[in-house]
Amino acid sequence: MNGRKIILPGEKIADARVQVPGAFNDSQATYASVVGMLDEEGRFIPMEKKYRPIVDDVVIGMVTDARHAGYDVELNLPNVGFIPARDIRLKLELGDFVVCKVREVTETGDMDLADVRRLPRGQMVVFPPAKVPRLIGKKLSMINLIKENVGDILVGNNGYVWISEKADIPLAIKVVKMIDEGAHFSGLTDRVAAFFAKEKQNKVI
Amino acid sequence: MMASSTSEVRLVIDGKRMDGRGPEDLRQLRIEAGVLHEADGSAFVEWGGNKIICGVYGPRECIPRFLASPYRALVKCRYMMSPFASLEEHSRSGPSRRSTELSKVIREVFENLVIAEKFPNTQIDIYIDVLQADGGTRTASITAAAVALANAGIPMKDMVSAVAVGKADGQLLVDLGKAEDNFGQSDTPVAFASRSKDILLIQMDGMLTRDEMARVLDMAERAEGKIHAVQADSLKRHYEEAGEKKFLM
Repeated sequence: MNGRKIILPGEKIADARVQVPGAFNDSQATYASVVGMLDEEGRFIPMEKKYRPIVDDVVIGMVTDARHAGYDVELNLPNVGFIPARDIRLKLELGDFVVCKVREVTETGDMDLADVRRLPRGQMVVFPPAKVPRLIGKKLSMINLIKENVGDILVGNNGYVWISEKADIPLAIKVVKMIDEGAHFSGLTDRVAAFFAKEKQNKVI
Repeated sequence: MMASSTSEVRLVIDGKRMDGRGPEDLRQLRIEAGVLHEADGSAFVEWGGNKIICGVYGPRECIPRFLASPYRALVKCRYMMSPFASLEEHSRSGPSRRSTELSKVIREVFENLVIAEKFPNTQIDIYIDVLQADGGTRTASITAAAVALANAGIPMKDMVSAVAVGKADGQLLVDLGKAEDNFGQSDTPVAFASRSKDILLIQMDGMLTRDEMARVLDMAERAEGKIHAVQADSLKRHYEEAGEKKFLM
């Protein structure tokens, strides 16, 4: 864990009022509201988090209802996303995987989605939303590494990961699990790269 | 010294309790976080003879719909004792007067802690199953549920830990066992928020003087610190070592 410290809900993380995800303020200080850790620079990183949609987030979902006005999309959330039919030309069917952008979120969490793209056949995997930044990596380093070695893969901010049927799905699931378990260790990209190298060697033999 | 007890049973002899503990000692407490695959968060507690498992789901769609609030998430709690949990409980474990009460008091503890305003129109479910009971299941349940909620990533203002302090054989004792609870003069479960030390639950069975009540709260607060340390340790273990072991294979 190299000098990092696990923080529990209610623990003080700063002596001033600062706005950090996964934290809340009283009149003088900032406290964690979820389990997280303080890194070497004193930044708070939540380790468990419920995803709350924000405008312009990229989300992946499955069409669960097709009506005249539009489509409902299941997004691993209590609320469903809605794609207004007049905004899109393509016809969707129940069970289609789609990737889209959040265009609008109401106060109660209902969303309108835009920039819809239908995904080809593949497999959906659930991933903890708090760790999505690790799966993508700095400047897409991690996700590009996986794409190189596995095939087409797409990550939504809501925690759904889509893997193309043409990709090596078992290997992809293995790697995604590995990143889930090791999300709070440093040098993660190097370890995943080493893992791929080893995997390749095994294949040759 | 003669014990000024109204019961004939001797529960404290020479300052030692039936299981050899001193008046302020806790029973052995072990907590494991994240034991269930399908729940969003979970915890298993072994506290003396108590074995309690807790699973947390949510925030998810509120059912029935008419109960949903557009202002906050609903916190729901279901406490249940297994048919084989203790001597008194018999073959059926459906809702009883007792489990309904416990579900209510545990729910109220967490209604005060969970930051529910972030999740309108949803509900958060806390399921508590007592597999084996040995006195003090409500306090153990609260202790377990706090860890499970933290494990689920549900935002909370604070952690909470609970302990029962009571009077048996004329003496104030921390963390009553089953015999001390059944044959003692008083049983007072208390739940403290860990940072603010707010009292989130206090109930009292039997009689205590005002002076004794103040001492009970003092003792409960001291015990709370020890319980919180075990809770913190369980979560730290879950997030540090478990991950490390799996990752550095």
